[in-house]
Parts: sequence; structure tokens; C-alpha cells
Amino acid sequence: MLVGCQGVQSALDPAGAEARAISTLFVAMVLTGGAVWLGVASILWFAMRQGRAVVAEQSASRLIFWGGAVFPSVTLITLLGYAFWLMPSLRPFATASEAALRIEVTGRQYWWQVAYHRSGPPILAANEIRLPVGSRIEFSLKSDDVIHSFWIPSLGGKMDMIPGRANRLSLLADKPGVFRGACAEYCGSSHALMALTAVVMEPAAFDAWLMTEAKASINAGGEGGALFVHHGCGSCHRVAGTEASGTLGPDLSHLGSRQMLAAGIIANTEDNIARFIAAPDAIKPGANMPAFSMLPQEDIRAIAVWLKRLE
Amino acid sequence: MHVRWKHLAIGLAILPIVVFFATWIGFFNVGASTGHWKITEWFLHFAMRSAVRTYAFTVDVPDRLPREGLQPAGGHFARGCAICHGAPGEPRSPAALAMLPRPPDLADVVGKWKDRELFRIVKHGVRFTGMPAWPTQARDDEVWAMVVFLRALPAMDATTYRRLAYDGKPSPPMHATGIEEALAECNRCHGVDGMGRSPSTPVLAGQNEVYLLESLRAYAEGRRPSGMMTLPVQAIDYARLTALARHFAELPRAVAPARGEEERFRRGEQIARHGRPVERVPACLGCHASAKRSPAYPRLAGQSAAYISAQLRLFREGRRGGTRFSPLMENAAKSLSDADIENVTTYFSTLSPGD
Repeated sequence: MLVGCQGVQSALDPAGAEARAISTLFVAMVLTGGAVWLGVASILWFAMRQGRAVVAEQSASRLIFWGGAVFPSVTLITLLGYAFWLMPSLRPFATASEAALRIEVTGRQYWWQVAYHRSGPPILAANEIRLPVGSRIEFSLKSDDVIHSFWIPSLGGKMDMIPGRANRLSLLADKPGVFRGACAEYCGSSHALMALTAVVMEPAAFDAWLMTEAKASINAGGEGGALFVHHGCGSCHRVAGTEASGTLGPDLSHLGSRQMLAAGIIANTEDNIARFIAAPDAIKPGANMPAFSMLPQEDIRAIAVWLKRLE
Repeated sequence: MHVRWKHLAIGLAILPIVVFFATWIGFFNVGASTGHWKITEWFLHFAMRSAVRTYAFTVDVPDRLPREGLQPAGGHFARGCAICHGAPGEPRSPAALAMLPRPPDLADVVGKWKDRELFRIVKHGVRFTGMPAWPTQARDDEVWAMVVFLRALPAMDATTYRRLAYDGKPSPPMHATGIEEALAECNRCHGVDGMGRSPSTPVLAGQNEVYLLESLRAYAEGRRPSGMMTLPVQAIDYARLTALARHFAELPRAVAPARGEEERFRRGEQIARHGRPVERVPACLGCHASAKRSPAYPRLAGQSAAYISAQLRLFREGRRGGTRFSPLMENAAKSLSDADIENVTTYFSTLSPGD
């Protein structure tokens, strides 16, 4: 049964400091609650065994006072105190000097815009975030349209993304791996199809990845790149190192290196990229991208091949 | 008394049967030669005037009638209207004069109607008269241009009319088979130089051939609604469209008009280059950067301002139609504001055709 509690998207299988604290709190609550339930059930069982035997008024009052007033108050106050004590550690904010890397995530219907801020120009990406293991990373969470909520259960608690403001969240991942996040606030017809991949990497690998990400892709994908610009994809999408510089849709630079496609819902394959280009609405109802089924099949295929090779 | 009521009821009950029987044996003459009975004529006119007056209240009159549409409306009048109503200096065929009711000489009657009533008649036509509705219900802008023309008609002399409708040249035949005749049909409004004879006519000179051909086919197949374009395109052999598209694509595009509105141009350029991401308006130049993009996307630099803004409004309302690519533009124009349309129009219409 516990297998169901594990996996890439489980608050009960923590891989980060915040998620671990939340998981501990959950376990403490369940254990305490379970003990109280056992106690109450035992007293009930005992009372039933007693039959119609008369209990002295004094001992009954004592039982009600200790068992009905003092015990619940103490238990609840203790649990509340524990939760209060935990709260600051669930929202730790790095001091300005510590925050070497800040990740800005903006919720859009139905995908995530990601920008890595450090010294130098921000590095843009979409629908996948990568984190170094063992460092505290600060997130700045925004929205451009409706309220979304950013939640990677394996790494930490959720935080709403509200139009017009930037919410802060900080996460410390302590185990490398690939995790799955989701939008946790209903945001429209494809809310359930708005997921996120979080990749926790060793610091050295992360730095190397970020260096690659900061540069344009070295591409050997044939004529697809020219067709991408030719058919106007650059109106909405940006691909670093090409003429395409649109910001309406997801940044597609280094798309080939991403694990998933269309905000964490389908595998990143050439076939799926081609399918999405021809009919986005079939994969993601309500997506803002219009269908490009009028393009020649071979052009769609060439663009898909090129995108998949943007490493 | 009882008996009389009963007789009346029986009479009323059998009246429809009598009328039906009379119709069946051919009592009612439908020949046009003898005209209507006086009472029928009076009643039909009474019903027509009343219905036009009442339904015209639902018409939204624009603040300003599109005066720039006078020439294309004149060109359309020559093809669609003059055959029945006649035109300055063009007597009607005796066949049209023998219609029942006889189509009125419009110079005499337009003064009796309000603008919104003329709009109502031109857009929806009149039943039982032979007056057809506008070929599409999606293009109110064209109908308003026709209202402008009708207002100018009473004072119009034959020379002015011939200049508007035929550019002063001989009228091309009603069905063009040869390429010269087909071209003459286009040139009536688009001009020999392809620059358009009115501010609201699109510039065809130097337009992408692929786009022109796709658009002509869209008109011919009814995928792009327009009363004014449907008639001439139907009058041309489908096979000629390719040559026509090539002809106009090869004409040189004249320099754009001088730029007056610097601020508008700058704002338009901002949208053209970067779009408005928050409002989900994509960058125009992603597709409309002429030579660097697919020839299925039209070239906009130096295009007519009135035409660009009218098309953007049609796209925004989802009524433009067009080639297989037009859904892209419908999507892009969805959240443009009126000000955005003005700014983008200023940008592209004053952009040098070389850009």
C-alpha cells in the first residue's frame, strides 16, 4: 500500500527540506490522531463492558475533567505549537547575499515560463525547472492571466501565483532525481494538463547545464530552423540564437533537452512535437496556440526534428 | 340572429377552401404584363415601406460613413445594380424596364430613405421584387460604402460615373474569358498600376503571388466573404486566376505615403516587432516580414491604411475568412484594441515597401 505514497509527485516521499518537514508534520499528526482514536475507542469498549454498573459521581467528573477538557487541550496545543514552530522553517528566505540563483516562474494558461536570474542576463526556459542539490533556491512566483498555484510535492509546499504580485518561495532539494509538479489552483479547461518537471542535479552537473542553457543550441537539425522562422513561429516562440524572439508562447530554446512536452503531459519525441504543431487543441484543449495543420506535412516533420535536436 | 352567426361561421370556414380552389384552377394571374391590382400594389408597397422603416431601427449607424469606399462601390454598382436600376448615362435594357415591380431609377428615390433604411434595403434585399440581398451578410463595411455611393448618385453625371466604375475606359464584358478582359475587370478598381483606385482598395502591386492566388481562390470558393469581390471573381474563368495573381505580384509597389503620426508609428512598430504578450497579441513581423517569411503571408509594407484597419476589424470579429492561414490571424487579432489597430495600421501603411 505504501507504494502508492512513493513516486515523482508525492508529499509523503520527500526529496527536499521543506517537503521533509511537511511529511514529518503529517506523520506526527496521523500518529497522534491515531493514538487519540485508539484511546477513545478503548474507553468506549470499556464502558460497554461495564453494562449498567453505576459509576461514582466524583470519578465521573474527574474523567470528564481530565479526559474531556485537559487532555484534548494539551494535545491540540502541543500539535499547534509544533506546526507553528515549523512554519518559519517552511518559508525560509535566503538573505540577499545568499541568493546567488533566483528562479522566476510565471504561470500562463496552461504552461510555466521559467527565468533563471543570476549575474548576467536571465536564462529563459519553460515547463521544466532544474535545481542543484543541497543549495537553497529562491523562487519568485507570478502570473500573467489567472491565479495558478505552484506545487512540487516532493520538494515543498505549494504557493499561489497571483496576477499583479510576486510571491516568494524557497526550496532546498536534498536528493537528486526527477520530480513532477502541478498547477494546484483551477485555472481553466486544461488545468489538469498543466504540469511541470523538476530535475534535481548534482551541483557540478547543474552548473554545466546552466552554462549550456545560457548559450544558443549547437544545432545540426537540418532545414527545420529556417522553416520555423519562415512559417512565423517566431511571432510567439523564442529560440535562442535564431531570429525567433516571441514571448507569447513557451521559450523553445534547448527544447530537445527537456524531459517532457506541452507542460509535463506527453513524452518529448519528434512525433509528439509534430502532433502538437498540427493540432495543439487535441492535446491541450483551450491552448492559445492555433493549429498549423495547413502546413505541408514534411515541413511540420522538419520543424519537429529540428526542435527535438535543440540540445 | 342565431342563424346569421351560423351562416357567417360557415362562410369563414369555407373561404380558404374557395381561395385554394380558385388558385388551383388558375384564377390568379401571375403574368407580369398586366401589372398588379391597384390594391395589391398599394398593400405590397405599404408593407415594404413599413418593414424597412421598422427593421432599420436595429441598424447600427457608424459615426462616419466610409467616403473612401465611393469608388469601389461605384465599381460594384456597375456589375451588380446598374443592370436593373440603370446608371448615369447608361439607359436600362427594356427587359429590366418590363420587370414587375419596375426597379426604380435610384437617383429619384434614394432621397426618400434614411441612411439606415438604405443600409437595410441594400444588405437584406426586398422580397417579391427581385431586389437581392448583398452577396454576403458578413461585410457591413461594403454595404455602408454602397450607401455612400447611393447618396452621391442623384448629383452624379455620366462622366463621373464612368470614371468611378470603369476608370473612364470601355466597360469590360459581363463574363471575361480572355486574360485581357479579365485584367480589365480587375483594373476597374485596382488600377492599371495595382495600387488601388481608392484609399480603401488594397494595394496589389508587389503582393506575394502565392497569397494573391490563394485569396482569389478563397473569394471564388466563398471562403472569404465579400460582395464586391465575389461578382468580378465569378465573372472570370477560374483558370485565369493564376495569371492574374502573377501579373499583380510583378507590378512594382509605389512608395508609401509620408509619415505624419510619429507617435502612432512608434507604438505600431512596438506591436509589430514585439507584440503585446500579456494581451496575447503576437508580433506582426514574425509572419509579415515580407521576403523572409512564407509567401502565403501577405506583404504589408505600404499597404492601404483604410484596407489594413478594415481587415483587422473583420479578423477581430471573426468575419474575415480567407486562405487556409487566416485562422492564425483571427487568433492574433482577437484582443487588439481600436487604438492598437490604428497604431499598427499607421506603422505598416507608412512603412517603405522596401522594408
